[in-house]
Amino acid sequence: MSYVAPPRSSKTSWRTTYAVRRIAALLLLLACSFPPLAFAQPAANTPPPDFSPQVFEIARELRCPVCQGESVAESNSGISLEMRRIIAEQLAQGKNKEQIKAYFVSRYGPWILYEPPRAGLTLWVWLAPLVGVALIGAGLYFYLQSARRRALEAGAAEVSEEELRRAEAELDQS
Amino acid sequence: MKRLWPFALLVVLGALLFWGLRRGDPSALPSVLVGKPAPDFTLPAFAPYRAEWGERIQLSRYLGQKPILVNLWASWCVPCRDEAPMLEAAWRQYKNRLLILGVNVQDTNPGAALGFIQEFGLTFPSGIDENGRVWIDYGGYGVPETFLIGKDGKVLYRHAGPLDPATLQELLGKVL
Repeated sequence: MSYVAPPRSSKTSWRTTYAVRRIAALLLLLACSFPPLAFAQPAANTPPPDFSPQVFEIARELRCPVCQGESVAESNSGISLEMRRIIAEQLAQGKNKEQIKAYFVSRYGPWILYEPPRAGLTLWVWLAPLVGVALIGAGLYFYLQSARRRALEAGAAEVSEEELRRAEAELDQS
Repeated sequence: MKRLWPFALLVVLGALLFWGLRRGDPSALPSVLVGKPAPDFTLPAFAPYRAEWGERIQLSRYLGQKPILVNLWASWCVPCRDEAPMLEAAWRQYKNRLLILGVNVQDTNPGAALGFIQEFGLTFPSGIDENGRVWIDYGGYGVPETFLIGKDGKVLYRHAGPLDPATLQELLGKVL
């Protein structure tokens, strides 16, 4: 597309083009100050519309091989896109989620699963926080119990008759 | 005796930490393919290799004849630039006893890949993994990666990351 310069033979025509340009610039500025209007973008965190939600449900459970900290559903790398395509193809072939996950595990090992399997050695990854909370809870319970017992014993022994009388007198006054 | 318990626990935790730190590179991923038959692939060959190797390079046609070194590379991959002359030298030396097969992965620009081949004057055949499926079949998680396939067609070894001359010699020593 070639740019055709506005005619500049007379002053009026120059002035009108100038005015038109100014309005256009103003409109552009306005459009830019409303980005949702200017660029219709999909809302954040919605899957791209290329595959069905079922594909992304499975992709969320697989690790992106090149980014590693992202799941195949979140990653935009070429390999993740291809993995989503493979998932879509295998779903179309009638394979279920476990079969599709097994397909990737047979190539990458259990590492490809975004969450460690809840069995075998990696079961401890899931149990360790629960064990930790239980240990802390038990420790806290026994500590508080012994502390309360000590406070009761010490308290009963240390308050003298004199102090008790004074406290009661103050209570009566108020 | 009761006071020693926290210290004993600390020592045990420290030992566990020390063991964990000395376990080696946690990002090194062993390939599940080792010991299994190498997944087959058929790839369109780059133009310079079509006359000798045909339009498409099929791995299974060469399995069982010679050991095969499959190198996955990309033109944008910097360590691949160090590897390329080494692989070319190995190819020239052991051509009769070993097949070196390049697989171009994750290269969005075939022109750049061809430029890479010409820049290093690579004479061992390379094909294009257009959609990345060969890479997925081989459990690839980075570039470069090198697979050593034995004469029996089974994967012997996977090396992730750049090869150095010593590693390459060690790999070749296993099959030559």
